[in-house]
Amino acid sequence: MNRRGKKLFYLVVLLLCLLLAALPWLGFSYGIVWIFLLAVYFTLALSYDIVGGYMGYMNLGHSTFFGLGAYTTAILLNQGFNLVFALLAALLLTAVFAAVVSYPLFRLRGAYFALATFGLISLVEVLTTNFRDLTGGSGGISTPPGNHMVPSYYLVLAVAAGTMVLSHFVARSKFGLALFSIREDEEVAAAFGVPTTLYKSLALIISSAPASLVGGIYVWNMTYISPNSVFGLEIALSPIIMAMLGGTGIMIGPLVGAVFITLVQEFLWTKVPYFHLAMYGTVLVLIGLFMPGGLVRTRFIKPFIQWLGLGEAVDYFKNADAERIP
Amino acid sequence: MSADFIQLLVGGILLGGIYGLAAFGLSITFGVLNVLNLAHGEFLMLGSLVSYGIFMGLGLNPFIAAVLVIPVFMLLGIGFYLALLKPIMDKPPHQLLVASILVTLGASLFIEDVTAFFWERPVTGISYSLPPMELAGVVISSTRLLILLFIFALACGMQLYLKKTYVGKSIRAIVQGREGAKVVGIPISRISALAFSIGMALAASAGAFYVTLFTVTPVMGIPLTIKYLCVVVLGGLGSIVGSVFGGLILGVAETLTAYYCGAEWSPTIAFILLILILIIKPEGLFGAKK
Amino acid sequence: MSPFLECREISKTFGGIEALTHVNLTVEPGSITGVIGPNGAGKTTLFNIVSGALRPTAGDVIFKGKKISGMGPARVCRLGIARTYQLVRPFNSLSTMENVLIGLGFGRTETLKKDKRVAEAIKILQFVGLGDKINHVAEGLTLVEKKHLEIARALATAPEILLLDEVVSGLNPTEVSQTIQTIQQIRKSGITVIMIEHILKVVMALCERVVVLNYGVQIAEGTPQEVVTNEAVIEAYIGKFDDTEGGPDA
Repeated sequence: MNRRGKKLFYLVVLLLCLLLAALPWLGFSYGIVWIFLLAVYFTLALSYDIVGGYMGYMNLGHSTFFGLGAYTTAILLNQGFNLVFALLAALLLTAVFAAVVSYPLFRLRGAYFALATFGLISLVEVLTTNFRDLTGGSGGISTPPGNHMVPSYYLVLAVAAGTMVLSHFVARSKFGLALFSIREDEEVAAAFGVPTTLYKSLALIISSAPASLVGGIYVWNMTYISPNSVFGLEIALSPIIMAMLGGTGIMIGPLVGAVFITLVQEFLWTKVPYFHLAMYGTVLVLIGLFMPGGLVRTRFIKPFIQWLGLGEAVDYFKNADAERIP
Repeated sequence: MSADFIQLLVGGILLGGIYGLAAFGLSITFGVLNVLNLAHGEFLMLGSLVSYGIFMGLGLNPFIAAVLVIPVFMLLGIGFYLALLKPIMDKPPHQLLVASILVTLGASLFIEDVTAFFWERPVTGISYSLPPMELAGVVISSTRLLILLFIFALACGMQLYLKKTYVGKSIRAIVQGREGAKVVGIPISRISALAFSIGMALAASAGAFYVTLFTVTPVMGIPLTIKYLCVVVLGGLGSIVGSVFGGLILGVAETLTAYYCGAEWSPTIAFILLILILIIKPEGLFGAKK
Repeated sequence: MSPFLECREISKTFGGIEALTHVNLTVEPGSITGVIGPNGAGKTTLFNIVSGALRPTAGDVIFKGKKISGMGPARVCRLGIARTYQLVRPFNSLSTMENVLIGLGFGRTETLKKDKRVAEAIKILQFVGLGDKINHVAEGLTLVEKKHLEIARALATAPEILLLDEVVSGLNPTEVSQTIQTIQQIRKSGITVIMIEHILKVVMALCERVVVLNYGVQIAEGTPQEVVTNEAVIEAYIGKFDDTEGGPDA
């Protein structure tokens, strides 16, 4: 049952991937937009979790990278540069930004860090709004029109998949182990030689990459963004809620969270037009009180995931290599 | 010094006093509970709205409102603590951090959204004024002066409370060392609840004054909490008095920036100050270096 | 020929409190030195300074001729001084294997390749008696296992000096004997040990030299016999020497 069950499950996963790849040809234009957004949020959630979950520093300002990536790409596209160049430039600029802000921000710990990074979003939003010659101000910025839905769909799926690979390899690497140790006890980690200051900055920079990329792809597809749409509360909090609801510190957590929340949003949002933020808030409170470890660590779901062979992904403290040695 | 500048300064100090008062509350909460309450700004906002309501409904002036909100919000504070914080207080540090951020942020959003639903119009400042005073040739609104004095009195009262009463001393004991306080027999849970409620009440009280000067909107809570963070870090983590000074600095800085650079830049100053202090003196102005 | 490890006139002030005053200590390679004293005497502070976690207010720590008192803990660790903690601080959510891998991967000047690291980690865990718990989460271990994990983690950094901070406190008599044996094995492998300890039996059994601190001041130094009969030491300790074994920890 175990073997066959696993094979069956992975077969289903493969089919889903094929379905995703073929979707544009099947005529579900709404479904494509839906999955596009899901992939964006998922990538943000997963990249957030590298710093928030693996390293234990809750970077509530993660969407700053998204917004920066979006605006940089938009401005460059308007200057006539092609998409690849614009995305790469956005990637670079955001990485530099991450490196620069990591210097003061990582002097804070815990909730102070979380709050300060949250404030970073507003700061960047205000700056974006004020430099209206460059960014179009509060009215937003438009990029050259065109229907890029299908290519950006594939692009964003590629980035999402790439982020999963990134997250997986970070978690299994020596670097990732160091991040875990920083989360567990930063002082002791430093005492045992972990270069904490450097690694914290590196982690932030690495986490900024997928975020800025999807930001760029987002604006290329939407052809219009405003400070509120990319620096607002929704884009700031949704990915983090997904990561926390699904399970922070584990690669599969944000995936579960993203799917769960997007489904719930889909059915609930349209039925109840008010109190969206309040609902988010309630979810946060409930997670905090009853399952800060997320869905994947609850009694019901955890065994299922272990049975799937993704136990490593859930019990992130298990080292698979050791088991193979007699 | 031009009269304008002095007016600005006074305005800045006043705003700073309000910030300092609220940050004072936040400092106490953090010192005792080791939890940063992200919903702190919401309490100021609620205090403002309640004070406004009292003014409009009962015609009572803001000074009385500021005093009235204290017991009300202390009760609310205890309720908040029991429902949301007590259940997570015993978790190990990292989990406590995650849980507390989730819980307080969630509460923040909830309060904000529900308030926005019922209170659509931004609440404009209460226009309650006394005849202006003239001091050394400069006209100062005596309302502002009174508010400053009131805040000052409140802060001094708090300091006395912390120094002289049993609860106050217990609070300071816990801030200095939780384990030691337990050993000495201090009822941590009860004092924590009280400390939290005091913090909340101070924020609400600050809010009662805030509404006399500024417009209050339901969404101002989170940006305010971020400002308090800047104030607390500026003043020095662990220094309760420091946050008052941090508040004053921020208040003056914001007012001056708004005047000289334009109002759209003043939200940024809090954060810039935060970054600066983190680079120059990370432990804050009054904080202790390791 | 400069001494192996030397603490020269170490003083440390916290706010108004003088935690350490003019402490001098010399350690020979391959020895086991004990640091004893009543609670609050400054012993852990001394360890913090030697390991680089704290900077002395005055004085220097000199290791193999190099002044290490200004370097951070990471550098000191790589230079060859590793430590355990009085209140155990393993990386709780990580497995014992991963705890040791941190030491192996970051605490040495020359790190091994990944597969060698894992093999070495297993060796070290077997050495401290945790060979059958390599995938256990650190948090779920018993106290004595956690203490041994800390030792393993420290050993993983290939130290020349091992600082053990009350490594047997809270253990029952069997566990204490176990640990004593482990420490003797460690010394046999050439590592110098400095240990803070309360339990007299352990100090007498293991240490060649003992330093006594009281209120941050060094009040005696010598062999365990000399120190135990020293008047100043007895006075400092009246009623405080714990030569009964500590009970199991909660």
